[in-house]
Amino acid sequence: MLQYLIILLDEASTPFCSLTPCPSDPPTPFRGRKEGGLIPLETLRQGIRFGMMENLMIQYVYPDKELPKEYLEVIESIDHSKIRSLPLTPPKEGGTEVDVWVTESIKDIKADVPVVWRTDKQSLFNSEADIIKALENVPRLNIVLTDIETFIEEDFEKYKSLLEKLSKAIEQMYVDGKAPQLNLLTDRMMLSKMNNCGAGDTSITLAPNGKFYVCPAFYYEDETDCVGDLEHGLDIKNKQLYKLEYAPICRHCDAWQCKRCVWLNRKTTLEVNTPSHEQCVVAHLERNASRELLNNIRKHGSFLPEQEEIKEIDYLDPFDKRDTWQ
Amino acid sequence: MIKEQNEPWQSGMAKSITFIVTKDCQLACKYCYLVGKNSKERMPWEVAKQAIDYILDHEDEFREESVVWDFIGGEPFLEIDLIDRICDYLKQEMFRRNHHWFNSYRFSFSTNGINYDSEKVQNFIKKNINHLSIGITIDGTQRKHDLNRIWKTKEMEQGIQPKPEEEKGSYKDVVRNIPLWLEQFPNAGTKVTISSADIPYVKESVLHLYSLGIHEVNINVVFEDVWKEGDDKLFEEQLMQLADAIIDGGYYQDYACSFFSEHIGKPLDAKLDNQNWCGAGKMLSIDATGNFYPCTRFAGYSLRSKKPIIIGNIRDGIDQNKLRPFLTLDRTTQSPKECIDCEVASGCAWCQGENYDAAETPTIYQRATAICKMHKARVRANNYYWNKLFRKLELEGEREEYEKSKKKSNEVIC
Ligand code: SF4
Ligand code: SF4
Repeated sequence: MLQYLIILLDEASTPFCSLTPCPSDPPTPFRGRKEGGLIPLETLRQGIRFGMMENLMIQYVYPDKELPKEYLEVIESIDHSKIRSLPLTPPKEGGTEVDVWVTESIKDIKADVPVVWRTDKQSLFNSEADIIKALENVPRLNIVLTDIETFIEEDFEKYKSLLEKLSKAIEQMYVDGKAPQLNLLTDRMMLSKMNNCGAGDTSITLAPNGKFYVCPAFYYEDETDCVGDLEHGLDIKNKQLYKLEYAPICRHCDAWQCKRCVWLNRKTTLEVNTPSHEQCVVAHLERNASRELLNNIRKHGSFLPEQEEIKEIDYLDPFDKRDTWQ
Repeated sequence: MIKEQNEPWQSGMAKSITFIVTKDCQLACKYCYLVGKNSKERMPWEVAKQAIDYILDHEDEFREESVVWDFIGGEPFLEIDLIDRICDYLKQEMFRRNHHWFNSYRFSFSTNGINYDSEKVQNFIKKNINHLSIGITIDGTQRKHDLNRIWKTKEMEQGIQPKPEEEKGSYKDVVRNIPLWLEQFPNAGTKVTISSADIPYVKESVLHLYSLGIHEVNINVVFEDVWKEGDDKLFEEQLMQLADAIIDGGYYQDYACSFFSEHIGKPLDAKLDNQNWCGAGKMLSIDATGNFYPCTRFAGYSLRSKKPIIIGNIRDGIDQNKLRPFLTLDRTTQSPKECIDCEVASGCAWCQGENYDAAETPTIYQRATAICKMHKARVRANNYYWNKLFRKLELEGEREEYEKSKKKSNEVIC
């Protein structure tokens, strides 16, 4: 069921997810593909009205510029959350009001709300120390890999080893009485069912042109790829395919922290409901590292007693087990 | 003994690899998706060789016990020199590499039959006779065949359509080769595809094919949304008449027609009968430029409204990610609720390529149901057929004998 309406306040709103806006021209930090215009005020108003009528929770995605005063008023006319780029100079604690910060640099970050770090594999593999430091300074860190589809065997190895090291550090933090949150490692420990991105199923995006998209990535990639507009309402064709039950591989999977990015699915396999091999292996390396982490923390005492154990499995890609599905 | 359809050779375990050797043809059949596109694209030898090298080099990606090397067109036998060279190379290479397909392969052709008796084609047949399947397409009676399967003219190549009185049917040019074909392949079957305009000729066509000595007629309706109001009723009547003719004439003893099958028209279990119908993705098609497709229906030339689905090419190999949707597709995920709950669902077929072409978004996960009413008509006539046949067998005391000797039928849908 739809729960969230993501509103892009500007054509250059912060990318916060797996989308690399322009593959041939790597994005400078905090800039989307499109330079340009704010969402027209009337479109924003209509979007908010739509959200209210459909009972949707609104999430605004901000550009890296100040918004005119009249926008601020409209924005505040409804309960919402704010997603914006982390300014280059870290905000003072309790500073600018925001719900999620997005950053493309992990160095020295500090914040009192969750931070999303969008990164490619190369900087990820080189950032072990920075990540550990960040975990001490933010309530929650979401790492979003922007180039999962390029992973090769060697990268899987590096990723696995990075996760092991981060897991050790997190274990120590827990022993020291802290409770750091890193999506890649701590989410799976806490979950009891799938918790995916939900684009097209639980969330939908409104772009500045007044049209709806499955998620911002669909808008940035191809503006004609819309699923309705404010005038005529939502029209998601083959809507069922965004649901877990209609995803033959994922519905057999227990890597519950996986983003299950439908945009990346379509890019790699041509189907929104089918993930690539790379996506599955990456998510299973995280799952297995979470398993180790959970087991290790429990060695120090009772921890999440109501949570079931994460089972040991002999595969990294559920697709390889398809002969055993019924 | 009652004749049911022959099971295609090692059908379950075989990989089917199709070379689209040419898009050219001597005919311009009215239902052919190539007509009007005027493409004469032929596969260069280098492309064929590179494709074979790729496939045989990657034995671990092709684990099926056996292989069907399939050649289609246009008219494949127009490229008999190329085909002969490909087949020689395949045999040589499978042997040299001690490949697990050596001795477990077949060459397969669908031809219009026109140059079947030419020296080159005959030499090829003699050379490979133990590893060959050849299907010749005849649509039925001369009247029916010549309605659609007409010769191509020079003008047509320039886009000018002949007047009806100037059309030249190809029936006689094909039928003269049938005796030779049946002599070389006594068990050969033919494939007939029924579209809206063909319905009135169904019965006479099947009986005519029997009379030519063809014992197995694989026949199905097209998956495209071509059906008009009342077509199902007409179709049902034709099939009822055909059922009477087959049973009253005793044809069921030696002849088979895939319209009638004991296994169709039953509800299907959402869990136990959840397999995909069509084999796309388990097959591989290669076009003249060296692109790979999950089946020929996904190549640009056979699609009406969607982009081709290319899953790789002879230089970079197969992109396994693009195969994942095909290999995990099941019946219920792609079917609307109406089909999942359908009381007569078994035997209701689909073609992944047509599903894709007709879908509202570019997906293979939306089943097209244009054939729904035609399937239901077939089920009614099929029920009639078996009730009538079983009663006859019981009255003649032959029912038990039938149950003992019957073979599993196997539907050939595309
Ligand atoms: S790991 Fe793979 S199968 Fe599991 S949820 Fe993620 S994408 Fe789906
Ligand atoms: S298409 Fe029609 S006949 Fe076929 S399964 Fe669906 S509802 Fe049944």
